[in-house]
Amino acid sequence: MKFAIAVFSPAHAPSSRRALRFAQAALAGGHEIVRLFFYQDGVHSASGNVVAPQDELDLPAEWRAFVSAQQLDAVVCIAAALRRGVLNAEEAQRYQRPAANLPPPWELSGLGQLHEAAQGADRLMCFGGD
Amino acid sequence: MSTLHVICHSPFGDNRLSSCLRLLGSADGLLLCGDAVYALQPGSEPLRTLQASQLDGRLFALDEDLQARAIAISDLGKAVDYPAFVALSLHYDKVNSWL
Repeated sequence: MKFAIAVFSPAHAPSSRRALRFAQAALAGGHEIVRLFFYQDGVHSASGNVVAPQDELDLPAEWRAFVSAQQLDAVVCIAAALRRGVLNAEEAQRYQRPAANLPPPWELSGLGQLHEAAQGADRLMCFGGD
Repeated sequence: MSTLHVICHSPFGDNRLSSCLRLLGSADGLLLCGDAVYALQPGSEPLRTLQASQLDGRLFALDEDLQARAIAISDLGKAVDYPAFVALSLHYDKVNSWL
C-alpha cells in the first residue's frame, strides 16, 4: 500500500519521532511512501543547523539519513520554511540572507505537493502535537 | 467508511478526546499515543468516559507511550507497536489525526 506522510511538528516534539518510526515500520512492512511532506513547524526537522543535546536523539539527522538511504521524495513547504528561516542556497540568495540551512536531500516546494501526494496514496498520515 | 482516529494530546489539557468520542462512528477506531495515553490513568474521569463508550475491540494505545508513562491499558483496549500501527491505519478506510 502507498502512504503519504505529513509532519506538522518540529524535531523536538515526540510526534516527529513517531512519524519517523511509523515511516520506518511502513517500509519494513513492504509498503511504499509516495512522499514525506514537512509543513508548519515540521520544517525545522529539515534544518541542517539543529544541534541536539548529546544524550538525546538527533532527529533531524535521523530524518536526513532515512530520506537519503531510502531515496524518498521529501518535500519541505516553501512558505512555512521561509517564514521560519529554513532556506536552501537558492532562497538564501534570492532573499539576500546570510546563510542557507536546508541541504539535500530536502526539496522546497508548495502545498500542492501535499495534495498531490494525498491523491496518489492509499492513506495520508498526519503527525503533529505532543 | 470507517475511520481510525489518532489522538496524541493529553485529555487533561483540552477537549479533543471528548469531541472525538462524540463523533466516533460505530465502526471507527481510536488510537491513543503520546500524552493521550494519560486518558487510561486509573481512577480518572477520561478513563471512566472511555469505559462507558463501548469501544470493545476499537481502542488502541501505542505501547512505547504506555511504557514511557507506566500506564497499562488492561482489557479495555490493545497496546500496539509501530508495525501494528501501520496495519491499523490500513485496516480502517481513513485515518484522522487530531493535530
